[in-house]
Amino acid sequence: MITRSRAVLAAVLVAGLSAIIALPMISDAQTERRTFVTHNGAIVETSGDVLDPLYTPSDVEFDPDEFLRNFEYGRVSVSETGQTVREFTIVARDDLIQEVSPGVFYNVWTFNGTVPGPTLRATEGDLLRIHFFNNGSKAHTIHFHGIHPAGMDGVFEPVGSGGRFLYEFEAGPVGVHPYHCHIMPLEEHITHGLYGMLIVDPKNGRAPADEMVMVLNGLDTDFDGENNFYAANTIPFYYQHHPIQINAGDLVRIYVANMVEFDPINNFHLHGNLYKYYPTGTDVVPSFYTDMITLSQTERGIMEFTYEHPGKYLFHAHKVEFSEKGWTGVFLVRGDGGAGYGS
Amino acid sequence: MEARASGRTIAGGIIPLVLVAVLLAYMLGPGSEMFRLGVALPEISIEKVDFVDSEILATVRNTGPVPVDVALADINDRIQPAAVEPDRHLERLESALVRIPFEWNVAEPYVIGITIDDGTRFEKAVDAAAPAPRPTWDLAAFFALVGTFVGIVPVVIGMLWLPFVQRISPTKYHFFLALTAGLLLFLAVDAAEEALEISRNDLAGVFNGALLVTTVIALSFLALYYSGGLLEGRTGPAAVGLMISVGIGLHNFGEGLAIGAAIGIGSIAFGTFLIVGFTLHNVTEGLAIAASVSRKRPALPVLAALAMIAGAPAILGAWTGGFAYSPIASVVFLGVGAGAILQVVFVVLRWIRREGGRFSGPAVTSGLASGMLVMYLTSILV
Repeated sequence: MITRSRAVLAAVLVAGLSAIIALPMISDAQTERRTFVTHNGAIVETSGDVLDPLYTPSDVEFDPDEFLRNFEYGRVSVSETGQTVREFTIVARDDLIQEVSPGVFYNVWTFNGTVPGPTLRATEGDLLRIHFFNNGSKAHTIHFHGIHPAGMDGVFEPVGSGGRFLYEFEAGPVGVHPYHCHIMPLEEHITHGLYGMLIVDPKNGRAPADEMVMVLNGLDTDFDGENNFYAANTIPFYYQHHPIQINAGDLVRIYVANMVEFDPINNFHLHGNLYKYYPTGTDVVPSFYTDMITLSQTERGIMEFTYEHPGKYLFHAHKVEFSEKGWTGVFLVRGDGGAGYGS
Repeated sequence: MEARASGRTIAGGIIPLVLVAVLLAYMLGPGSEMFRLGVALPEISIEKVDFVDSEILATVRNTGPVPVDVALADINDRIQPAAVEPDRHLERLESALVRIPFEWNVAEPYVIGITIDDGTRFEKAVDAAAPAPRPTWDLAAFFALVGTFVGIVPVVIGMLWLPFVQRISPTKYHFFLALTAGLLLFLAVDAAEEALEISRNDLAGVFNGALLVTTVIALSFLALYYSGGLLEGRTGPAAVGLMISVGIGLHNFGEGLAIGAAIGIGSIAFGTFLIVGFTLHNVTEGLAIAASVSRKRPALPVLAALAMIAGAPAILGAWTGGFAYSPIASVVFLGVGAGAILQVVFVVLRWIRREGGRFSGPAVTSGLASGMLVMYLTSILV
């Protein structure tokens, strides 16, 4: 009898263990109901957690709203020869983990703690002094697109961990120029986030406008050679969730650069309007009047437009894969009068 | 003195266990730094995808060495708002349901992607979307009908060979018993192979599919061997017929699972094909039961009961496969079936010897060989 009851016990144990493995385990079930909105506008209710990069506020350390209209003019002085000198300090790091999309954490490599790095701005002919400190664990540099002496190119002068370098050159030509780390493997250093934009204004300036910066980028968070996310200014869907507020009648100027890797092209489509496009920003006369520009790697330019009608207007990559993985945003055009740019 | 001796025996048995516990405590406790090598990569498995009204449901399980948080869902690599129930945090082996609202189209292929907190994306491809079967009475009745045609009807037809088997000489009878053993041996291999295939395709590596199948087969064999011994002691050789029916019943449960799952995942044509194949295949199972009980002149109700025990589990299998498909449950059921059948093969062979048959004789060898061959040929139909 004893042996039989033991056999029964063993059978019960085996069956119980199988059931535990076979049935989904239930943990701290929530009683609170949450809702979310689908792409089609349907409202769905759930007893669990919502996975929604569009409408879930994320606790990102990087603020795309602040980045959008922020320009760094440097510490300004005048040299003995009367030349304007602009000094910048840029610190590279490669140890930060940031929440790039709600619930997704990625090891970003940063210039001054953000991806993209700071937008530097100068006037043609200014002397730029960029004090570069490498606080990363790997070698890094800054390679500026533009015109400068060979020794200031940031390619053959790797700055080791803990090292420093002074980049010194005259700002030019007029336009929008990306900068990025140029250490091999280059793709790795760029896709992790070591890039930013340098704007060189013409000496006579451009017309007053509501100016903003959009660095189009992608994030390959699982290192499979394909981007998991795309965005304007890093955070997927951010400007869809937080529409960019502009005023009807105001001239809007976007400095745009494409830093997407892996995919050969990116593009920029504007709804309900067309923009004047200045490729590389090197001219003050626009080359195109369009709502669609295709950009290859590090291709960049200036877009200018004015909305007549108030309301919400989408802007996004018309390579729809990119827009559905985050590169999409909204302009909220207000009609109640603005700063009066361009009027 | 005796008490002290048995105390020593118990202590001798326990001391190594205590030492193992101390060793584990040391390795997991303060000494754990020493063994922390390499990087623990998180992993999740998408075990199941269901297509329902305007939603795609993905069942995900944490099959890696560390806890994870589900962060994002996508369809065809396009990010979609979604929900995860009961919550996004998954401890080891915990599972959750990801609900992705999506207007999917019937018969189109979809790739379902789930991204976790470290940015790693895992995906599962579905060849053709089809609505998940709702557990309605109509569908339950349909599955019951299918199970009857696959399980019960062919077994009954096969059992009609009973009068024929009853009249033949002992040598020919040994042939048919050996044929039964051959049929069953084939079914055992078939079930084991099916279990391995499911474990390879749908089971995460953490479950050690091949070892799981082997262990379940061994446990099932031993459990039935033990209980069979108890049964035999009371009722004599009649128990063999019952055990064959039970073994075949477990096997037919597996067939029902396959059919229910095929209809469940929408491959209706494949389901029809399976039904025809299994029906033909299962006629031979009726013969196996008939051969085993032919010398006992069993009453009709007993025969009916045996037919039901062997055939009806196909209905249960179809319900399970269609309404509550789970890869791990399927692997376990198929493994139990394989073990049960192997045990029956063992009993049948022992019985032949007890009846005076020789394993090396022409009746037994040709019977075994024919059994395997017949099964192989009818299996091509499936």
